[in-house]
Amino acid sequence: MLWCSKITKGQVISGEFGKILVRQKSTEKVELGELLIADTNGAKILMQVFDLIYGSQVSQQNLELISGFSLEDNKNFDFMDPKMRNYMLARLKSLATIRDNNAYVSKQMPEFFSEVREIRKEDLNFLAKPKNPLFIGNLRSGSKILEVPIYLQGDKVLSHHILIAGTTGRGKSVLVSNILWSAVDEDYCGILVLDPHDEYYGRNKFGLKDHPKNDKVVYYTPGKAPAGARTLKINLELIKPQHFDGVVDFSDAQRQALNLYYKYFGKTWIEAIILEKKPEGIVFRDDTLAVVKRRLLYLLDLEFTSSQLFCRGIFDLKAGESAIADICRELENGNIVIIDTSNFSGAVEILIGSLITTEIFNKYRYYKMNGILDQKPVISIILEEAPRVLGKEVLEKGSNIFSTIAREGRKFKIGIAAITQLPSLIPREILANMNTKIILGIEMKPERQAIIESASQDLSDDDRTIASLDIGEALVSSNFAKFALPVSIPFFEEFAKKDLNLDKENNVKKEFGGVKLL
Amino acid sequence: MKFAHMADCHIGSWRDPKLKDISTEAFIKAVDKCILEKVEFILIAGDLFNTSLPRLDNLKTVVTQFRILKNKNIPVYIVPGSHDYSPSGKTMLDVLEEAGLFVNVVKGEVIENKLKLNFTVDEKTGAKITGLLGKRGSLEKSYYESLHTENLENEDGYKIFIFHSGIDELKPKEMENIISQPLSLLPKNFDYYAGGHMHIVKDAKINGYGIIAYPGPLFPNSFSELEKLERGGFYIVEDNKLRWEPIQMYNTHKIIIDCSHKAPEHVEQEINEQIKGREFFNTIVLIRLFGSLASGKPTDINFKDIFERLYAKAAHFVMKNTNALTTKEFEEIKIDIKSVEDAEDKLIKEHLGQIKVKGLNAEKEAEITKELMRVLSEEKAEGMTKPDYEKKIRDEAKRVLELEL
Repeated sequence: MLWCSKITKGQVISGEFGKILVRQKSTEKVELGELLIADTNGAKILMQVFDLIYGSQVSQQNLELISGFSLEDNKNFDFMDPKMRNYMLARLKSLATIRDNNAYVSKQMPEFFSEVREIRKEDLNFLAKPKNPLFIGNLRSGSKILEVPIYLQGDKVLSHHILIAGTTGRGKSVLVSNILWSAVDEDYCGILVLDPHDEYYGRNKFGLKDHPKNDKVVYYTPGKAPAGARTLKINLELIKPQHFDGVVDFSDAQRQALNLYYKYFGKTWIEAIILEKKPEGIVFRDDTLAVVKRRLLYLLDLEFTSSQLFCRGIFDLKAGESAIADICRELENGNIVIIDTSNFSGAVEILIGSLITTEIFNKYRYYKMNGILDQKPVISIILEEAPRVLGKEVLEKGSNIFSTIAREGRKFKIGIAAITQLPSLIPREILANMNTKIILGIEMKPERQAIIESASQDLSDDDRTIASLDIGEALVSSNFAKFALPVSIPFFEEFAKKDLNLDKENNVKKEFGGVKLL
Repeated sequence: MKFAHMADCHIGSWRDPKLKDISTEAFIKAVDKCILEKVEFILIAGDLFNTSLPRLDNLKTVVTQFRILKNKNIPVYIVPGSHDYSPSGKTMLDVLEEAGLFVNVVKGEVIENKLKLNFTVDEKTGAKITGLLGKRGSLEKSYYESLHTENLENEDGYKIFIFHSGIDELKPKEMENIISQPLSLLPKNFDYYAGGHMHIVKDAKINGYGIIAYPGPLFPNSFSELEKLERGGFYIVEDNKLRWEPIQMYNTHKIIIDCSHKAPEHVEQEINEQIKGREFFNTIVLIRLFGSLASGKPTDINFKDIFERLYAKAAHFVMKNTNALTTKEFEEIKIDIKSVEDAEDKLIKEHLGQIKVKGLNAEKEAEITKELMRVLSEEKAEGMTKPDYEKKIRDEAKRVLELEL
């Protein structure tokens, strides 16, 4: 895009605050979502097109008649001064007033009949890179991508929760990949990614493993771990009954049994249930225990044969004692921890998330109590298909650690980045707590409505804009942005490979002291 | 096939006269047991000695044991550990290997800046053995990252990999802060992974890997190890089945008291009640006190008197740990470390690169710093004259710094 010359796009002709009507200049094209500027009284008013309509000096009746001649009798009519008589009208809303490189909430309208021009790079100087940047994408004006990277203040945005909503294929994963890639360079945040599609690390393709600072990317996988990755093993003794909240729908009696076994047997409570040990003086119905045992065996992938317990999956009797503590430490060190959950059922994935999240949440609560929370990085937990744990139906059965974090996490510098196609399934009070919403293309009106009603900025006129968002286009509404930002999400590989130093493989000769070399 | 797997012998680790020979004696017992069990070979997974240049009296005993094993045709295969490896390359292990007493299996070649390890084949059994050394601060991780694994993983036959490193997946909870590395850095498809460095007794099987085993030390090396393990031991592996063989040197007796809301004299009284009417023959007594005293200071507890009583009851050795004992009279200071070594590692890492020396990279600087700290902290041995001691320290420092002083 050219930034140099002033291109007049139209002129303000009527309207009201928030719905300014502009006549489009015949030689220019105005798009839905386009950003335009009106210079007025030493300030600039930044506006965005939210509707387009036709205008004509010829009456509707005459237009219909002319069309009839053209269609039915194949007669060609030329309008006299066609550019003057027929034109396009655009409805614009004010986004911000820019004065001295600062943006303010708009409280004035552009002057009547003032010219409206295309946005220039210098108009956007107020969009400076904040101290703890979180890259979202490049500013977009309609379908045009501007060379202006959009950063939000990462520590605030991450701790105040993010909602990433969009239909499949609109770019949610690309957006998350970009965010993670740029977050690797930063120390202000640790990010936990529960990755049900095993797509972010890049086991067999380009991914975060290829980042120049890949020592800050920690990858856990249950299968054959590539060199440097960790095999996901979680010791059974680390699991507590509360970790099943929101994971398995135990009945009250079953839940009581879990709690009593934990109280009586301590860390070996799961083993005790499977091995059918009986707590002294406490009697349970046999069928209650049988169901609990069967469900635990299935969920934790355990096998009970010849009075012995065998572990077949990630939950283990011997290994993984420090797994949760290790993950929490990595997060506290400002690293990205990716857990490959592609081989797990949804319940196991949530259980793992619950184990880690509970531990880190408790740690951060302790840090706050001891006045050292300021020294810790903000933690973000990326949750795919978030309604599985934050959905109305799930929460009606009781709260879980994720809903607790959604409500209270920001006080403790822990936030959730909830990804979903169906934001309407998340209760309104939780949606309202998500102070940044990255909205990608959504076809279904109820889903758009759920977001519009809980957005940080007034998006009531943007329903059509959201519906028309193409692949890789997003609208970002945030408490930490002056206005809803239209952005374009770059392709991950193109974006990431710019950062790559192709000469990374240095030729420094490695030394292997202590090895007897032949 | 039957072999023994020991690690972390730490010969010479205890300094107190009453325990200074205990690790050597544990080693003698372990060797005797191996001979009795008719093992075909022995693996030592690092830290045979507590330092790269051990005391002569300890060395003499160890050499005698290796000589006995050699005469009985029981070969020993070792890797150097973080304690007995020397960044300058000057370690007693080299001398002993040169004398044919054991084989250091850390052998290979560098191809295209990557390390390709070679196998050492045990003649009697055909077992193929290789491995990697351990270094201070787990700096060996970079070796693993540069390891050619294809030749190792594709080799046929019964294969053993000896290593001296912590493994993330097997680390116990109480060691969560020690530096370790992921299992995935070890080559796959070996039948047996003989581990050392983590002083734990543990074995596991994780997909893609054979048995991964840590036998723990031959004798515990600290108060907390004595408290947790009580005794040392090693594995005897027969047809790939493990049996942990304990080495009983002394009994241990633990006195653990929560001192919260108690005055020093009450704590003393409680200890005395616990030892009343007991004898402590052949026993190491461990006293752990924790909590916040209601009044006074930890030093107000008359340990001298308690120790005398215990020695009068024939205790072999008495130790106390008051690290978690606080008093309301002092402000509490907390630091996030688990051991002195850990604290040293953190401080060294923080200060690396402050002084630029040509040809000295960060890794080597860290190694030299740690080795120099170890040399400078060495105490004067009994009977050694002051000039001899000074000369020894000077020579050692010269060796570490590769300088002419």
